[in-house]
Amino acid sequence: MAELSAFNFRPGSSVLHGLDVRFKLIFLVLISFTSLKAYTVALSVLTLVLVAALMHSGLSLKSILKTFRYVSVLLAFIFIARALSTPGSVVAEFKAISITREGIYYGAMICWRLVIVILTGLSFVLTTRPSEIKAAVEWTLNPFPFIPAKRIATMMSLMVRFLPVIIDQAKETADAQRARGIENRKNPVYRLGKLGIPLMRRTFERADKLAVAMEARCYSENRTDPVLSSGIMDWIALCGVVCLCLVIISA
Amino acid sequence: MIATKQLRMTVYASLLAALTAAGAYLAIPIGPVPIVLQSLFIFLSGLLLGSRWGVASVGVYLLAGALGLPVFAGGVGGIGRFAGPTGGYLLGFLPAVYVIGLITEKTRKRVVFDVFAMVCGSIIIYSCGVSWLKILTGMTLAKTMVVGMYPFILGDVLKIAAAVPIAKALRPVINP
Repeated sequence: MAELSAFNFRPGSSVLHGLDVRFKLIFLVLISFTSLKAYTVALSVLTLVLVAALMHSGLSLKSILKTFRYVSVLLAFIFIARALSTPGSVVAEFKAISITREGIYYGAMICWRLVIVILTGLSFVLTTRPSEIKAAVEWTLNPFPFIPAKRIATMMSLMVRFLPVIIDQAKETADAQRARGIENRKNPVYRLGKLGIPLMRRTFERADKLAVAMEARCYSENRTDPVLSSGIMDWIALCGVVCLCLVIISA
Repeated sequence: MIATKQLRMTVYASLLAALTAAGAYLAIPIGPVPIVLQSLFIFLSGLLLGSRWGVASVGVYLLAGALGLPVFAGGVGGIGRFAGPTGGYLLGFLPAVYVIGLITEKTRKRVVFDVFAMVCGSIIIYSCGVSWLKILTGMTLAKTMVVGMYPFILGDVLKIAAAVPIAKALRPVINP
């Protein structure tokens, strides 16, 4: 079920829940940028801060690790590709392929940065209501003319809402097929085909149900958004994050 | 009636944007370079939604990435990605999805035209991606293509082959 996946909003009363969405959006951008320039020490600091923030806002360490089960394959690929393709002093060699020390270092750095970005996004999605994300996006786009801010904001909050639905549906479909003995088929193309099409069909049917539900509730683009307000806490947090980022960049 | 249609398309476009984001994290280990499923869903956005809503879907996806949500393949989100080495590919998605949508709207929904549309789309993505990569790195055109295009062609052929049956299965759901 959807509540088991970590990419969902969880109600709570932590500091992160209380901060203004617009500030959280700024933090997201700042930390993503900073992680590009960060190395071992800075990355460990960032990881510690983020994991602490996540645990403070009510996610257990176990479910954080569980979230990374999905991305660990991609991380492994990036790491291997880097380890094999970067020139430098050779650690191990096998025929034409050689693993270099620099490759391992850069691969690890890139994977670590990716982890940071995912953690940041996770703590954002976890502590922000979709309607607040929508309001913040709308606020960001409002100064630009000719952009239908309301519709784009709706679409973006729908998109964030659909991510756990897709993961959920993928799990459900895979479980159903395992129960019917798909493991006996070794051909990966066959299995992907049998997984992909029902999965896509079912997510689209769910989207269809959502559209019907929205219509039944007389959805229109002119609706009252949650009021965004910033307090002293937001500015303190902003100062903290900016200082942290400046220290990391200049170090 | 028009409002209903529009609402449904809004929801579908958001769903495809979410699928594209999920696809950026799914890699299939076939061949020398893992195939990232992102562009499969870009193709599908064009095929299923048509030009206007396809562009809306991809636009929302790119905007979410620019705002820093973790939706791009291989790493760091944020607006900096558009200036990075893969920025050309990301921006190339927009004209590509428009052209794919346009071709499927103008022709009857037959397999041949679908494949033709997706081939055109990939050409657009690569021409944007490779030329940006060339400007950024200062490599020769031939070398840029070796790095930024040839390793992915096999994956694209497989993605086009996968997109055809998926589009066929989903069109009745979208346009009943």
